[in-house]
Amino acid sequence: MLWLNLLLNGLVWGCALGMVAVSFSLIFATTRFFHVAHAAVYGLGGYVAWSALKHGLPEWAALLVGIVACGAVGALIQKLLYERLDRSGATHLVILIASLGLSAVIQNSLAAVYTSNVLQYGLPWGNRTTVIGGALLTNTQMLTVGFGILSYLGAMWFAHRTVLGKRMRAVASNPFLAEITRLQPRQVHIAVMAIGSALVCIPGVLVPLDLGLQPFGGVPILLTATIAVIAGGVGSISGAFVLALVIAVLQNLSLLVMPGEWSIGITFGIFVIFMLFRPRGLFTG
Amino acid sequence: MLRISTIALALGLALPASAQTIRLGAVLPLTGPAAVIGMQEQRGIQFAVDEVNAKGGVAGHKIEVLFEDNQAKPDQSVLLFNKLVDLQKVPAVFTGYSGPSLAMAPLAGRKKTLLVNGGAQADALDKASPYLINTIPVLAGELDVLATYLVADAGKKTAAILFENNAAGIAGRDDFLGSFEKAGGKVLAQEPVPFGDTNYRPALLKLAATSPDVVFVVITTGTPQLADQVRQIDAKFTVVGSTFFSDPELIANPNAEGFTHTQVLINAPEGMAAAFKTKYGTEFDFFPKQYYNAATVVMICVEKLLKDGKPVTGENLLAALKEIKTFKGLTTTVFNTNTAATQINMNRINGKQDNLLKVIPPK
Repeated sequence: MLWLNLLLNGLVWGCALGMVAVSFSLIFATTRFFHVAHAAVYGLGGYVAWSALKHGLPEWAALLVGIVACGAVGALIQKLLYERLDRSGATHLVILIASLGLSAVIQNSLAAVYTSNVLQYGLPWGNRTTVIGGALLTNTQMLTVGFGILSYLGAMWFAHRTVLGKRMRAVASNPFLAEITRLQPRQVHIAVMAIGSALVCIPGVLVPLDLGLQPFGGVPILLTATIAVIAGGVGSISGAFVLALVIAVLQNLSLLVMPGEWSIGITFGIFVIFMLFRPRGLFTG
Repeated sequence: MLRISTIALALGLALPASAQTIRLGAVLPLTGPAAVIGMQEQRGIQFAVDEVNAKGGVAGHKIEVLFEDNQAKPDQSVLLFNKLVDLQKVPAVFTGYSGPSLAMAPLAGRKKTLLVNGGAQADALDKASPYLINTIPVLAGELDVLATYLVADAGKKTAAILFENNAAGIAGRDDFLGSFEKAGGKVLAQEPVPFGDTNYRPALLKLAATSPDVVFVVITTGTPQLADQVRQIDAKFTVVGSTFFSDPELIANPNAEGFTHTQVLINAPEGMAAAFKTKYGTEFDFFPKQYYNAATVVMICVEKLLKDGKPVTGENLLAALKEIKTFKGLTTTVFNTNTAATQINMNRINGKQDNLLKVIPPK
């Protein structure tokens, strides 16, 4: 049953990765800023929730505090940093470097305040397991799947069924036209940064609940999520989520036929070849 | 004089705080994923130095350690080593982690600067440079003890290996593989995990599928998460490892029940451990103890040179170390070669305690 265990592990990890990819996709497709500091916001959410929990808040309230804090930080980053740089005529490369700098500031501040130790939430219910078709899943893993699917469906509903979502898609599609038709792209950017940042807090809490909390833990997951966003087709929420699942499942199942040293290299090698044939991604025409 | 000071400061050259102060260097990971250990190593050195300085220093000379952060990166370590040796003229540099230590080792030989490793255990460190001394045994010695115990005493005949994919992890894997098969056991499978990654589940599942008696683990961080994940997959094997399992958080984890490991012996008096905890708010665990010991070894060498009226240079420190040979620090540290020999114990974690199984005296 090794294959089933690996498949389920891949799907769980894919759901966590999918939430990061969807949140990054919302931001990147709308603002076109390569928001590297998203990795730090992911980490920040975990630490805020951890602190709230240690101050006696129940689990759901701690998660909510983290979500609100990340949303606020995301909006502030857009308003105080990216928007100012954009108004002053900074290129996207300059904004990327500013984002990298901000990421380093947030992550190193987290390390200074909380130490670089791998922290644990210490919630015994998270580690309890259930047998599903011969494979073992922890409560945290099942929550990750549940929140992953809900986040994907929620993002789809937001983008296609709400006024703000429609404005976001219009801004993403044609920023110039959005400006002259008074869709107020700058306000949309702030709203999308807040929503994307709030969303990334969910995996920012669930992944450390399973694997421990580290100040630099967001970097590798964001890098993989970025590949899912690009290979899925920039702007496609479904593309980002599905490709995140595919990458995670491939990484896990590849262990059946090759040692772990080769797993990541070969998985991403497949994507490099894929991009040669579909450079605009899977879910775009 | 003012002009000279100004020029020196402008060039980034710090003037000595006092003519009496002896400066040493340390290149350790103080930020990044490895900082959890690097900061403990830093505290161990500083604790030993503060203790000596509070008593008037070494033969009347205060000791100061200049710490540099390498984030456990070999390339960064080389730059920082050059900075400390060329600009600050330090005669000795403390180091940790195998990759950075191996990167600095050739420079230590070329610049005749004593490089003092108190925590890394890759075998290549043993003969990396005549100027690199290891105040902790390299992993080969420890894993030889572990493999012999597992096969001869515990009757474990098959093993799998989970290793961190870096210099220390690969060396550990190779050492265990060689020692276990030499002792009469068979290694069925091996899987790497990236440094800093705490998601061990896929690798553990793959190793468990080969049904080994034991899984040998060589990772430097995330051992409590490993214990949780071993329990979650309902593993039938025993987890075995080296001194890295002496993490207090792992020992306190109920899921680490039965974990068996070697332990390089190092003990601290109760009062000292309490003073350390009061000062830094963390336990005086394995790494600060090792670096306290390493700092003590260096300061004993400095004291000998000062008493003999010799300048404190890297070359003279090395000569003094070879002459003194046996150091009574937190543990008896004997330098028959550049790598110290110390007592190694076999321990098993039971009931949130690290219990002694067997004592193996130094060869």
